[in-house]
Amino acid sequence: MAMGKYLAKRLLICFLAVILSVFINFVLVRVAPGDPISIMAGMDNPNPEMIEALTEKYGLDQPILTQFGIYLHNLLKGDLGYSYRSNLPVMSIIGERLGPTLLISLTSAILAAVIGVALGLRAARKRDSKFDKVFCITSYILDAMPPFWLALMLMLLFATVLGWLPTAGMVDARANYTGFARTLDILYHMILPVLCVTLLQIPTFFRIMRSSVLQALGEEYITLYRAAGMPQKTIFRKYVMKNALLPTVTMFGMTLTYSLAGVALVEIVFAWPGIGRLLLDSINGRDYSVLSGIYLMLSIAIAVITTLLDAIYAWLDPRIWLK
Amino acid sequence: MPILDIRNLNIRYFTNDREVLACDGVDLQVDEQDSIGIVGESGSGKSTLAMGVLGLLPENSTRLDGDILFKGRNIAELSQSELAAIRWKEMAAVFQKSMNSLSPVHKIGNQIAGIYRIHRPKADKKECRELAKALFDKVNLSMRVYDLYPHQLSGGMMQRVTIALSLMFNPSLVILDEATTALDVVSEGQILREIVHLQETDQVTYILITHNMGVVASSCKKVAVMYAGRIMEYGLAIDILRHPVHPYTQGLLRSFPSFTGEKGSLRGIPGSLPDLSESIEGCAFASRCPRATERCGMERPPVVEVKEGWSAACFYAEEGGEL
Amino acid sequence: MQIKRIRLKNELILGRIWAIPSLRVGFIMLLALLILAVLAPAIVPYDPTVLNADILSPPSSQYLLGTDQYGRDMLSRILYGARTSLVIGFLAAGLSGVIGIAIGAASGYFGGKVDKALTFVINIFDMTPVFFLILIVIALFSSSITNVAIVIGLTTWTANARLMRAETVSLKSRIFVQAAITTGEGRWRILLRHIIPNGIYPVIINTASNISAAILTEAGLSFIHLGDANVISWGQIVADGRTQLAGGWWISTFGGLAIVITALTFFLIGDGLNRFMTPKLQK
Repeated sequence: MAMGKYLAKRLLICFLAVILSVFINFVLVRVAPGDPISIMAGMDNPNPEMIEALTEKYGLDQPILTQFGIYLHNLLKGDLGYSYRSNLPVMSIIGERLGPTLLISLTSAILAAVIGVALGLRAARKRDSKFDKVFCITSYILDAMPPFWLALMLMLLFATVLGWLPTAGMVDARANYTGFARTLDILYHMILPVLCVTLLQIPTFFRIMRSSVLQALGEEYITLYRAAGMPQKTIFRKYVMKNALLPTVTMFGMTLTYSLAGVALVEIVFAWPGIGRLLLDSINGRDYSVLSGIYLMLSIAIAVITTLLDAIYAWLDPRIWLK
Repeated sequence: MPILDIRNLNIRYFTNDREVLACDGVDLQVDEQDSIGIVGESGSGKSTLAMGVLGLLPENSTRLDGDILFKGRNIAELSQSELAAIRWKEMAAVFQKSMNSLSPVHKIGNQIAGIYRIHRPKADKKECRELAKALFDKVNLSMRVYDLYPHQLSGGMMQRVTIALSLMFNPSLVILDEATTALDVVSEGQILREIVHLQETDQVTYILITHNMGVVASSCKKVAVMYAGRIMEYGLAIDILRHPVHPYTQGLLRSFPSFTGEKGSLRGIPGSLPDLSESIEGCAFASRCPRATERCGMERPPVVEVKEGWSAACFYAEEGGEL
Repeated sequence: MQIKRIRLKNELILGRIWAIPSLRVGFIMLLALLILAVLAPAIVPYDPTVLNADILSPPSSQYLLGTDQYGRDMLSRILYGARTSLVIGFLAAGLSGVIGIAIGAASGYFGGKVDKALTFVINIFDMTPVFFLILIVIALFSSSITNVAIVIGLTTWTANARLMRAETVSLKSRIFVQAAITTGEGRWRILLRHIIPNGIYPVIINTASNISAAILTEAGLSFIHLGDANVISWGQIVADGRTQLAGGWWISTFGGLAIVITALTFFLIGDGLNRFMTPKLQK
């Protein structure tokens, strides 16, 4: 059945994408200027014990293929390496930052999807109206904004000038709230970062939905329904929506990779304790193990989510599913 | 009283800066249980005429002047909501087969039920299925089609579905706009035979719009020939196809090879359609007509009756004969 | 044998370009940007690296866009920043275009196994977190302008490849290409003479937004101090202003505005080119 073949193909691509990231990670350390040991240790002159430990662990005195084998073996064990800067395994460092990042990413993605799709639908229905023109222009402008800049401007306006919202962090460090109060505190701190990331992602959904709806409206079955006397509202609700949402699902997957960068930058600006901050700290501290760990985790996450979305799409679109 | 009486119909399209007169003073009467073919090359205005009668022209960019009397009532003046009352119940349509004649992501049955429920909102699943069965029987379709998706059907089957759809409420008039154009010759032949048969059993009046004389020859009693938005000749198919009186019709017929009869030479009509955004003085065909005189270029020929029920818009109609 | 190329009537081109508002505005803005960037060393009111005495002064007639916490004139810094952004934008997008065209044309033209393999590569690449990859490479290697441009170019070609492939596939079946094949024209010749010149238009349109994307990416990199430390970059300016939000809002604001305006310029051009190439869309 065609669906099975389609999914198998997508899974293969997913798998290969992860392998590619693993491979890139492996290769980069070894071809970069400087020697692999210094890079992995994160300092210029590691002491002899460290050199020995690293050489042993990664098999750096062995042939390349063996090294790759060791590397893969470690990965499968869940060992992403060790951060010498903070004295903790990379896996746990990333693990504790994952939650806050997911909190922002998911919330924003859902909000942006809902708002963007609704606006896109309306804009397409009233093509060339003021509504349409205003939102098309707004969408362009938002797209042109660097994520870190929008974050700073929002912070400037709402936190610094108006003082309505906090400037940094996920919780008020001094207050030490627990339970419900803590949740509220988190939500309070979440507002600006989520607002920022949502604004950055709305244009994509808006544009795709708008063009999908316009495309669907030009199809022959619409003429048929109109000739049959079907009210415009029913045509939209029952037939246009489903036809227009499909391409939206596909495109969302493809834009995922770009939105991640934006989330990271926004997190950095708001000092949100997520992957973004970790990224910045690792770059400054030359902690390569963490950097490569982040890259790998993100690659896997994207590959998995994209493949999932592809599967959903295949299930929704009977042209793929039944052949 | 004719079931459809079109009087002096003018349809204009407004694009960027131009105004195109797609239908120019069209007069046409269709009697009950007639089967009329409207023939013309691309750009002759025949589809625009169909859309005009069906009330499906885009409101913002077209203007319709003249009267369209359907069963004595002028539907040209009705609003969309008033038209909805007669849509599909008394006047239905079948359009050209395309990839998306029906919504590709909804089952056929779902769409049949959707259309049925426009006028019978309370119909339940069982009722819709039974209705579909009755309709499918008429067009020789198996009931398994009900649960399929459009892309799973062949071209001929798709058209049968749309024909069945058109007969849903036993309309008095069905307009078929290039309904067999995108089909292969075999399916086309089958469908045309079925249409003729249906017309006899259901007493439906139908208008068949096509660029193919052969289609008209095999399935229509009367034929109207359109060129540049004007009706050039109108009468019984037997008469017109054998001894056309208008030079344009003669040219058209000469462009079609014939399997039987003399193997004459195949001739096209030199020249091309006039620019419909400029007003045309005199006869629209004058620039390409082998018999045109100075008068033809200056005065628009009136509709001349050749014999009862047979008319042509040409000064030299009575002189007729072969060229 | 003369093979007809698809040509646009030259007389009509300029007229049509001017008729499309987004193209008109876009080109004017681009022209302004280019002039400002190229002439920057000559027209800046102050040396952008000099620490003037007036630290953190708001926009005034003396310092049109204010000064930062080190006393450097913002207007001069921003003008110099334009040079960095434009160079990286053009280089990166150019490289991305060349790679994309090569892979896309090969994939579409040769078909079969080559196509399958290359399409796989494209799909896989699409799934990688590009920004983070760029980040790691820059962190490990150097962060010079050329490096940044090259890395961005090497990682953002997939859209171009897809577009070129689609065009190639459709062009392959066109009569003039079929004719060339039948008369025995060499494969590379066909690709270079017929397919690429005719199929390149969607890639050109996409390149406009690629330039914007490259500029935004570079800005992100310099914001986190991974940009070229030897040049002035807008991202860096915004980063400088981050600690001064309360007392020196103009630093980050104007630094970022420059980025927004530049990105918008290329978006407008891309949109305008799109309308130019697809007359149906013109309204």
